[in-house]
Amino acid sequence: MRLFEEFREPLLRYGLSLGIDVHDAEEVVQETFLALFQHLRQGRSRKNLRGWIFRVTHNLALKRCYAIKALRARTEPGELMVQEPPDPGPTPEQQFSDWQRRRQLLAVVQALPQTDQNCLRLRAEGLRYREIAAVLGVSLGTVSMSLARSFSRLIRADGR
Amino acid sequence: MFDAQPHLSDEDLILAADGEAPSLQALRVRAHLAVCPRCRKILLQLERASADFARAHRETFTPHIPSGQGPRALLRARLAEIAQSSRPAFWPSLRQRTPSLGWAAVAAIAVTGIALGSLVFHRNPSSENTPQAAWPEAGLVPNRDLTPGATRPVSLAQVCSAPHEEVVKEVSPSQRASVFEEYGIRESNAEDYEVDYLIAPGLGGTDDIHNLWPEPYRAGTWDAHVKDALEERLHQMVCAHQLDLQTAQRAIASDWISAYKKYFATDRPQFVAAVPQSPLLLSRRTTVRAG
Repeated sequence: MRLFEEFREPLLRYGLSLGIDVHDAEEVVQETFLALFQHLRQGRSRKNLRGWIFRVTHNLALKRCYAIKALRARTEPGELMVQEPPDPGPTPEQQFSDWQRRRQLLAVVQALPQTDQNCLRLRAEGLRYREIAAVLGVSLGTVSMSLARSFSRLIRADGR
Repeated sequence: MFDAQPHLSDEDLILAADGEAPSLQALRVRAHLAVCPRCRKILLQLERASADFARAHRETFTPHIPSGQGPRALLRARLAEIAQSSRPAFWPSLRQRTPSLGWAAVAAIAVTGIALGSLVFHRNPSSENTPQAAWPEAGLVPNRDLTPGATRPVSLAQVCSAPHEEVVKEVSPSQRASVFEEYGIRESNAEDYEVDYLIAPGLGGTDDIHNLWPEPYRAGTWDAHVKDALEERLHQMVCAHQLDLQTAQRAIASDWISAYKKYFATDRPQFVAAVPQSPLLLSRRTTVRAG
């Protein structure tokens, strides 16, 4: 349960950032730890467990996205909405300004290729490059190039 | 964006800033930064962009995260369920992979690992499962790959007024056999399961195989009766216009246990025997007990 306490919130954030809602993200995290239980019980590798946990969450969240799309295709279009970032509501001016800037920044990120977005999100959750590479199934070089490219894009968009 | 020579590239700077550069490269970057204001400025911009994104990422998604108390309790229950129950979908595969292992040893392994911190490790070197393949096996919730749920075009009026006979069909023996085959359940173990609808017919679910799954009779706390109560609750809410039909379908298809906790506002099943059941929703009546 210690690992669950440590990783639940980062995994939920990552799942939400992939476009599933909090209900699905919570279930993905549950499934991840059930899989981890089986993984450890069967005596498999304990190396890089953080990368393993994120990798399973990544795969399950993507499967969930596909399932949601399939279900949506069989029901009425537009019924299954992806969770939106929270609206701050009536707030002081500075808070509203921060919220606007955050939205702009996230809009820039959402325009990036999917791998670049995921590299940024996993790095924001504190993963090392080798862990990010393992989660996404890409090379270390791809991770570093992706991050450099993305940050340059963010700097340009911010006009710094 | 920035010159690669003689200045450092963005990639070199990011690698060094993140402590990911090999030691020699890190030394080279440090030496260059000591004499190059331009690269120092770029490094500062990169670090700010990195920090800004990390903060935006957290501030956007963290407020959506609810308390972990309920999920923690649910995970404990699920782990205990796995550890303490003899799960037919698991045992045959384990026995096939380790033919010399007796049932007593297999059972001992199962009941020992109730929590992650107190695991007994049973090495299986022949296994080639990847993390993606380590999907929870048949149990309290269906395998989403096999049973994502399937619905038919149905109006709210039909859901709330159609006679029971029009919306419920009996699961045919061939469908039942297909479901067991999909889930790798042997015929000899089939009597431990009933084939249930994931999305109840009364909520627009169909008898398509993608909406059918083997629900264990001995599921512990979260058994089929609890799921029936959820179906009833969702049906009542849909017909009272408190919940749209598609949301109800999705809630029960994605994870009926979490849906129960959400729509009953509880972490544990309530006394389900007192819950009146609509004839529209009695999906269990439509299932066929094998054997």
